[in-house]
Amino acid sequence: MAEDTLNIYEKKAEEMTATNMITKEYRFSKTKGGFLSLEFEGSTYPRIRVVRLFPFSDENKYLSIREYGNGDKEIGIIEDLSLMSEDTQKLISEQLKLYYFTPVINKILSIKDEYGYAYFHVKTDKGECRFAINMGANAVTKLSDTRLIIKDVDENRFEIKDIDELTSKERRMLDLFL
Amino acid sequence: MADLTLTQKALRTLKDSHIGENDIILVSPVDLSSDGKYIKGYLAVTSDKVAVLSMELPDSTVHLFRNSRPGDEYIDEEPGEYEVSVYELKDTAHYRIDSFVGSNVLSAEYKGEYITVAAFTNRYQEQMNVLVRKLRNYLHGSELAVEEEVAVEEDKDVSKSGKSQRSIFGRTLKYFLKYKGLIAVLIFTYIINGSMNIAWPYLTGTVLFDRVLEADKDFLGRFGLAGKLGLALLIVALAMLLVRFMQALSNYIQIYVMAKLSSTAIRDLKNDAFDSMSRLSLSFYVNKQTGGLMTRVLSDSDRVRNFFIDGLPMIFVHGITIVVTFIIMFRLNWKMALLACILLPLLVFMTVKLRPGLWILAGKRHRAEKAVSGKANDNLTGARVVKAFGQQDEEIEKFSGPSSKLRDAEIDIAKLRNKFAILYNLVQEVSSIWIWIAGVIFVLKTHEIELGVLITFVGYVMQLNGPMNFFAWVFRMWSDSINSAERLFEIIDAIPEIREAENPVELRSPRGEIELSNVTFGYQVGRPILKDINIRIKEGEMLGIVGRSGAGKSTLVNLISRLYDVNEGSIKIDGTDVKNLSLSDLRRNVAMVSQDTYIFMGSVAKNIAYGNENASRADIIRAAKLASAHEFISRLPDGYDTIIGASGKDLSGGEKQRISIARAILANPKILILDEATASVDTQTEKAIRHSLEYLVQGRTTLSIAHRLSTLKDADRLIVIDGGRIVEEGTEEELRNIEGGIYKTLLDLQNKSMALNAEF
Repeated sequence: MAEDTLNIYEKKAEEMTATNMITKEYRFSKTKGGFLSLEFEGSTYPRIRVVRLFPFSDENKYLSIREYGNGDKEIGIIEDLSLMSEDTQKLISEQLKLYYFTPVINKILSIKDEYGYAYFHVKTDKGECRFAINMGANAVTKLSDTRLIIKDVDENRFEIKDIDELTSKERRMLDLFL
Repeated sequence: MADLTLTQKALRTLKDSHIGENDIILVSPVDLSSDGKYIKGYLAVTSDKVAVLSMELPDSTVHLFRNSRPGDEYIDEEPGEYEVSVYELKDTAHYRIDSFVGSNVLSAEYKGEYITVAAFTNRYQEQMNVLVRKLRNYLHGSELAVEEEVAVEEDKDVSKSGKSQRSIFGRTLKYFLKYKGLIAVLIFTYIINGSMNIAWPYLTGTVLFDRVLEADKDFLGRFGLAGKLGLALLIVALAMLLVRFMQALSNYIQIYVMAKLSSTAIRDLKNDAFDSMSRLSLSFYVNKQTGGLMTRVLSDSDRVRNFFIDGLPMIFVHGITIVVTFIIMFRLNWKMALLACILLPLLVFMTVKLRPGLWILAGKRHRAEKAVSGKANDNLTGARVVKAFGQQDEEIEKFSGPSSKLRDAEIDIAKLRNKFAILYNLVQEVSSIWIWIAGVIFVLKTHEIELGVLITFVGYVMQLNGPMNFFAWVFRMWSDSINSAERLFEIIDAIPEIREAENPVELRSPRGEIELSNVTFGYQVGRPILKDINIRIKEGEMLGIVGRSGAGKSTLVNLISRLYDVNEGSIKIDGTDVKNLSLSDLRRNVAMVSQDTYIFMGSVAKNIAYGNENASRADIIRAAKLASAHEFISRLPDGYDTIIGASGKDLSGGEKQRISIARAILANPKILILDEATASVDTQTEKAIRHSLEYLVQGRTTLSIAHRLSTLKDADRLIVIDGGRIVEEGTEEELRNIEGGIYKTLLDLQNKSMALNAEF
């Protein structure tokens, strides 16, 4: 009797935690409109969203594949993108590239601060950028001792992967935020 | 109509696609390509078409964001040609903007297929939102897009918090004496500095005037410089330069070493205080104001440093300077020296006479300061209540009392100190004028001394002023720092009330059986909260605890996880007294999900895996799913890597609670305590959490406290606590049938209020 109720709960728990692992077998394809579709367990999802569950600590592991609309329900999780077929990897990376568009700062040309705003002039992997941040808001997030996310006044993100790789002059400019 | 006009080039390009300037109704810039590169472009809407212009930009382009300042570099606004895509409006539908972490995508249905119309950064999010809203309205009547905004408010609390003893001084000194090397360097620089200080007046007075300028043959001959006056002068000049240089150098080294020594030693002191604080039991935090503790450790350690670094070494330096200066003065000319000393007793007398008054005033100021900061702290932490009850004016009124007391105390101190300083300076001035007069008489009339000696003398007397002044105020610093040090040691020495047994029993894979026998406990002696509690909770049983507020429900569960020790009786887990169990084992096997969940500064994943560092990502996700937290976490832009806690993202009460449930699930404890686990959430969230909890309690011994009695319907057994005793015990059904019983009364009350709510 107690055993039974335990089983019922186990089942419920399984349903709740039911994580559909999306593996190599399932096919992702690109729609004409440039979106991703997925065939999974007999259902076709014409348009899906890809969400990184660990965008900073492990960007290509644990990707949550979600429906588009319908409460964005989770269809399943890709545990490791590198274990998917090459086509899928390419398709998903393409989507993620746009969704998680974050220029990486590789050179700081100047930072000036005035009246609560800091004006950045930097070189990124997407080109040279000038942007302003609000010093009062939490504009600079430290992901680790050396990795930073900087958000401008519009919440556009810029990333510094490793401050140790900057020159000491650049680090001095950043000192204000560390 | 368009807020942002298109460039000529863009207009020309559009014209080529048969769209004239006047046709354009809506326009917004776009700046991303669908493959994630910066571009220049526009989205233009006419009455029947949507056109997207995009231009690839060369690598050298500087991308300007809002509020940024353009530099001097030349920017070719439009270095390329626009590519155009034109869609017939009638073929499109369902425009929608999706905001992602780093980009926004405008998609629409075009001929039955979803397409990406344009992508853009947050720079143009607002303009695009407006455009899309208008476009939708235009397409079909009155559909409005909703934008959400989140405002974050921050609260800060400020708080500050006096006897003196030689042992405290010695103990604090130990923190510094640990760094023997640094101290040796420091002492060396003090000696150098001190000897240079003494050499300087001698060099500039006696040596320069009386020996070299007087061409003293004996003196010069001693150095083999007889007759070579120019060379001798040069050497004296060089020697003077060298003395100054040595002073500067030793000063530099002193400051550097001091900074290093003070920060290291104070760090040690702070660490000890924090270390001790984390070992202390909850009651310490209940008795002391937690908010004040933090600032206390920080500001007190600062004061200790001030004295030990700026004060203590200087006592020696100045003390030695004074003694040596007097010895030299007496050796130069004892009459003059005696004259210089004549007023000293007056200084000592003044110090002795006026000091106590200053002490008393300082104490007064300290108390006033405490009252002011206490009041300020109250007001800041309780700002919500103050505002809600419209008590600002009354609070300001209440604040002005202690505030003007502090002002008066400050003025009194300033007055006395000024009096003291003026008198002190007067005595010093008088004694130096005294020396000049006497000196001139000695030099001109009696020819007892030479001019150089007089200059040397005056130099020494002037030099004494600094050290004398120093001694006048160093005692205040001393008492301040001793007070502070005492408070720090109070924390460091506080004995944790909960101590692990000598040879603790390990608790490996416990069954989870709890037995309380004759448990009596009170936070204060003689005022028991729990009286003679006896209960056995079987393995895997779920026990509901019911009672009025303040009946002792939370206290009971706190005793089981040994946040406090019982006064009488015993609590046993699997037959072993909790006092004999290893604390880490106990805490690992007893998890608490309580009404106030604490979120640590760190990522969501780290918060869930708190106390369980080895958990894999899959484990964390599984626990989050079970706690109904996965959905909202996935919606956070940074997912499980979102930084939460102080200065991070703010979570709602329900979200925090679900994270704490996930924490408990991951910890996988044998004994689970739910202390109002669903108190701060709405009904829907409560349902989700209940669901998670139903799973969580399986196979565990659970103690659940709840105000909402419906939460306890799954409990195997209920106890009702009233006045510190178990007054009713049994299954839900049994308790429900006790006429006039507390449970029945509470249940009836809740049902009534529920019925009332239903009616409304």
